[in-house]
Amino acid sequence: MMLAWLLIVPMAGGLLAWLAGLFNPLAARIVSLLILLLDLAIALPLLHSTSNIAMPGNWMAGFNAPWIPAFGMSFRLGMDGVSWLLVVLTILIGIFAIIVSWDEIDDGVGFFHANLLWSLAGAIGVFVALDMFLFFYFWELMLVPMYFIIAIWGHENRRRAAIKFFLFTQGSGLLILISILALAFIHQQQTGVLTFNYFELIQTHTAGTLGFLIMLGLFIAFVVKLASFPVHVWLPETHTEAPTAGSVILASILLKTGAYGLMRFVVPLMPMAAHSLAPVALWLGVGSILYGAFLAYGQSDLKKLIAYTSISHMGFVLIGVFVFNNIAWQGVVILLVAHGISTGALFIIVGSVQHRLHTRDLARMGGMWTDLPRLSSFGTFFILASMGLPGLGNFVGEFLILRGAWAMAPLITVIAAIGLIPAAMYSLIAIQRAFHGPADEERDTHDFGARETAMMLVLAAAIIYLGVYPQPVLNVAAPSLNNMQPQPATAMLKETRAG
Amino acid sequence: MNLQGAAPLVILTILAGGLPGVVAIKRCYRLISAVAGLGLMAALLSIPYALQAPVPALPAMFTFNALSLGFIGLILVSALLILILASTYWQAETPLRREEYPLLFVAGILGATVLAAAANFMMLFIGLETMTLAMIGMIAYPLFRPGAEEAGMKYLVLSGMSSSFVLFGIGLIELSSGSLDIAQIIAATPADAASREMLIAGLAMLAIGTGFKLSVVPFHIWVPDVYAGAPAPTGAYVAVIAKLGVLAILIRVINLPGVSLPASVQTLITVIAILSMLAGNLLALLQDNLKRILGYSSIAHLGYLLVAILAAGTIGQVAVVFYIVAYAITMIGAFGVISVLSRSSAARDVDKVLELRGLFWTRPALAAVMTLFLLSLAGIPPALGFIAKMYIMAAGVHTQLWGLLAIMVVSGVIGLFYYLNIILVMSMKPHTDEALPGVLAISIPNRLAIAMVSLPILAFGIAPSPLIALLKLMFD
Repeated sequence: MMLAWLLIVPMAGGLLAWLAGLFNPLAARIVSLLILLLDLAIALPLLHSTSNIAMPGNWMAGFNAPWIPAFGMSFRLGMDGVSWLLVVLTILIGIFAIIVSWDEIDDGVGFFHANLLWSLAGAIGVFVALDMFLFFYFWELMLVPMYFIIAIWGHENRRRAAIKFFLFTQGSGLLILISILALAFIHQQQTGVLTFNYFELIQTHTAGTLGFLIMLGLFIAFVVKLASFPVHVWLPETHTEAPTAGSVILASILLKTGAYGLMRFVVPLMPMAAHSLAPVALWLGVGSILYGAFLAYGQSDLKKLIAYTSISHMGFVLIGVFVFNNIAWQGVVILLVAHGISTGALFIIVGSVQHRLHTRDLARMGGMWTDLPRLSSFGTFFILASMGLPGLGNFVGEFLILRGAWAMAPLITVIAAIGLIPAAMYSLIAIQRAFHGPADEERDTHDFGARETAMMLVLAAAIIYLGVYPQPVLNVAAPSLNNMQPQPATAMLKETRAG
Repeated sequence: MNLQGAAPLVILTILAGGLPGVVAIKRCYRLISAVAGLGLMAALLSIPYALQAPVPALPAMFTFNALSLGFIGLILVSALLILILASTYWQAETPLRREEYPLLFVAGILGATVLAAAANFMMLFIGLETMTLAMIGMIAYPLFRPGAEEAGMKYLVLSGMSSSFVLFGIGLIELSSGSLDIAQIIAATPADAASREMLIAGLAMLAIGTGFKLSVVPFHIWVPDVYAGAPAPTGAYVAVIAKLGVLAILIRVINLPGVSLPASVQTLITVIAILSMLAGNLLALLQDNLKRILGYSSIAHLGYLLVAILAAGTIGQVAVVFYIVAYAITMIGAFGVISVLSRSSAARDVDKVLELRGLFWTRPALAAVMTLFLLSLAGIPPALGFIAKMYIMAAGVHTQLWGLLAIMVVSGVIGLFYYLNIILVMSMKPHTDEALPGVLAISIPNRLAIAMVSLPILAFGIAPSPLIALLKLMFD
């Protein structure tokens, strides 16, 4: 039941924030903040609980209620380690998104916060849904509010960006729908039962062409969300045009739903098909790493630069998922969390820079260290973190991925590791152009205040913790990796039975 | 003679006959609207009573079973909602006598009901014509608007032509089989080759008439002009009631025992479905008029519906009806928003997309509701249209219509463009210097009607089970 509350609270909270916003903008902000704190208070204790509903595998919590029995769809939720990490990340990032909007959003405050909370609720739903159709429902549900956030409160070219975002994600969403329906259909043919239950569908024999096509539909949809090369084209524009809170949620949370979908659904449901697609996926991952880094290097818009680095980092995630190896999967989990934190922090910093300088153009920055020392030092720190500096979270993630990939695909690993060189180049150039050198123009020299500094310190502490002592996080994730990654032996057995 | 099964029809006949009498006694628009509304409500409430009829009523002319009564119920609910919207739309300052509008309205509903329950071709034609003629009057009702007059004329000529196709088709069928009873003709096989050919020719002509009424490609040319010219409540009427009546008889015929669509007909329907989905959505892209967009969108939606009709079987059956319900409610809602913002006394309705600019800032609730309708039309959760689309896709996957599903996905994405555009325009900041159409007062009944439309769209979009259970009853 706690899991249902986890969703109900932000859903109803969104409505409450909207109503509060009709009376007083400040009330809307405070209500949303309290709602997310409440949600966090619900989520945190689940770490040490065990599910009271019997489900195969290790689950912290579960919930099941009938929804559309005519189609065998139920309101089935379940939370394991990876879900928990991503849900907590979602709520934390949501809290930061509300804090950064405190000064930035002045119009329609109530509606903005309603959309923010609904989008977060959709993302939480994605991370805990264990009914395939329910998963898809939440998947779609998180997009509409995000579309509004970009379209109404975004920057200059927001409309174009919003439409691009929606078309890409919606088009891929329809692929998910058809794949899910086809999977349920195969299952019904094999067993005579129409169901969308994850644990039932995982028993389906998915060898053969249809199984491959189903996998391909899901794979394309998730890879679009992950913004891997060559379907990344929606990402730079969307992230650049969204308001700061929108960019933060997009980069820190929405990208992760793609990775989560690959790990939770594509690989366990269609292991054979996923294995046969692995070479392509690995090369796409390598392509994303190099191409994202290469384009990031050429950007003069700081926000766009960070957006392109996301493409590059998500390439590592794609490689990590498709080497089917426990070490790499642990790396993926760490990288997802670390990237969520570091990129979220970077977008917050860019937002603050834009708020003060009224530009995102690197050519017009320069010399910020003298004017805005606190902002610049945090900026440098998080750029280095995102680059993969040892001792910080992203390094652990990328290292584990490369370590895991080495045994499976040495060539891929080598090329992916080469990608770290351009990463260092764009990072250092960004630091140099933005923060060092002489200041060319007069500017608002009002540095980070207590609110922003506190926020940055929390994020920085999290990144350092992940980098120095990631074991507790790995311990949380470990049982759920067993949930997701069927042992190769059972996978093979399943396929031979089908064949 | 036991008329229990025909109770809604009897009530509607009395209502349609009695309303002119009310006008003769007292020319009061409110009174007439109220009487019409009460009559429709009584007919609606008599449906459960009619369902319990021990013997079939008027079996030679009508079939009153769960399926046809279900459709009649849907027609009556839609009619009530449109009537409420229309009652405020026709303002006292309109330069014409507005009391006859409810008369035409009720006559059209009577026609649609007859059509939905018709058991032989004569009744089918009478129902169709009663409905169509009433609609022509309703389209051209604001005679002082050139657009309305033009739309009425267009509809008169084109629907007259399609009716003559239907009539000629009925003649050929009668000649070939010697019967006018629908079930009998479907079940019987013609004696010789000549009458067989005549039967096929007759059915083909009927199909042309049906295609015209359902406005599927290539019989869709009239749609944008008529939708744009007609006053907003009539627009909803044309988009919903007329389609419901024709779909009711179509689905009843398809569900008759022993009916199976031959492969050639299936191919034909497939082609029509593909063309409708693509043409409807592509042509809507180019429009700046909301009513035209809804017109093209209705073409596309009928295309989706044909996919469900092709996907026979139990899922397909319910999918068709579910989609019809979702389409009807959502269309009424979208036209309802236009008619709430428009006034009949103006030279035209508030139907330009750009006129909705800033609705989110001036009328947030109305804008939110309109967004819900547009999301429902686009098939995005949490709106009812999403579940409806999922239902059709499930039916399509079940019968493995992969090609049609692919087209559905592609055209669905194209459709997003223009639905999103409307939402975007509503979200823009309003121009401060221009008077907003939204500042007009919205009457309490209109608020209620819009709320009554949006509630099921949201509620059944989140928990569709009760609606599915209800609609399954129609096929028991």
